[in-house]
Amino acid sequence: MTIESQRFLLVGAGLFILGAIGFLTRRNLIMIILSSELMLHGVALTMVTFGRMHNSNEGQAFTIFTLTVAACEAGLALALVLTLYRSNHSLDIQLWSELREPDLPSPIDADELDSTVRPENPYGGIPKLTPAGRIPTEAGKPASNVSGGKSSTA
Amino acid sequence: MMEWIQNHPLALGGLVVWAAGLLWLMPGSHVKVSRPVVPGLILSAVGIVLLCLSVGKPQPEFADEVLFWLFGGGSLICGVLMITSRNPAYGALWFALATLCTCGLFLLRSAPFLAAATVIVYAGAVIVTFLFVIMLAQQSGAVAYDQKSSHSVIAILASFVLLGGIAMAIQSQGEQPEPISADQAPAGNPLSIATAEQPVGQLKGLGKSLFGDYLFAVELAGTLLLIASVGAIAIAPRREQGTL
Repeated sequence: MTIESQRFLLVGAGLFILGAIGFLTRRNLIMIILSSELMLHGVALTMVTFGRMHNSNEGQAFTIFTLTVAACEAGLALALVLTLYRSNHSLDIQLWSELREPDLPSPIDADELDSTVRPENPYGGIPKLTPAGRIPTEAGKPASNVSGGKSSTA
Repeated sequence: MMEWIQNHPLALGGLVVWAAGLLWLMPGSHVKVSRPVVPGLILSAVGIVLLCLSVGKPQPEFADEVLFWLFGGGSLICGVLMITSRNPAYGALWFALATLCTCGLFLLRSAPFLAAATVIVYAGAVIVTFLFVIMLAQQSGAVAYDQKSSHSVIAILASFVLLGGIAMAIQSQGEQPEPISADQAPAGNPLSIATAEQPVGQLKGLGKSLFGDYLFAVELAGTLLLIASVGAIAIAPRREQGTL
């Protein structure tokens, strides 16, 4: 590859890395989705450069598909964000850390917990699923009442 | 690896300076007052320039050089400002600018149709949707979770180690003539290979590739768009009758 191509690949990698940093560090749901779109830009630039290097239109064709998927992703993700905002009245991603498995440690640092304002009923609007399968148990504790196929409704 | 570091001190310096600038700009997890933007911005810009200079000096035309620095540097700086902005509305606008600069880079890499499509889809549709959602969902005034970032130091360190690895992989490739000749090119999709009459990025060749080699994928992408629009309408919360 020539130096000219190397520079474009480097810019693509830089865009990808910037998006990754934003994705990892920001706490606003909207900013997280925007950062993932920035990562897609980096990949698109890399694919276009590769296509030019190989004298082929495949890179650009593939980038058009990426564009399609990115548009779908943005629409669906923003609908999800609106739904989450409806139930929580906050865009803070850390409010959703309760969705983890019960035996995992909290991802929130102790000093950050104070600044997180917890709404009254964060999971009020979420539809309830019919219980099915085994009742999950915390690590270390034996399962107390494991009923085979049908579990009692909670 | 040590050899690469010795041969490319500019790249390593650029990475370190850029990471320092990002760390300065990140909304702190402990500092209450926001730092001034200018020093971090200057550090980031210097880092980006050093990193791009480390690949060596090509001999393109002067206009190409100016356009590369304008669009490449512009997209990276706008990306830095986007991920560090404390207001998501400003973040969306910086993202729109980064998109425009990336489209400029597409033009320089002979992809004019892709540049136009990206401007229409991203700057026209996606950003507007984002701004609508920000208006619908953003609380008034500055909120606490925008003023703080979580695990910023370790995230920046890990990401820049990855960027260093990518830069090393890119630069350790020797200089080869370009474009790669036809016998080296993959022969799987013959319609996609550009010819002398239709160089890369011409709309005719791109259309032949899309609707020849990738016809089923185009149909699938259309179906995906339909399903995604149905799903977005189904997921989006709707208000009760008669309320605003």
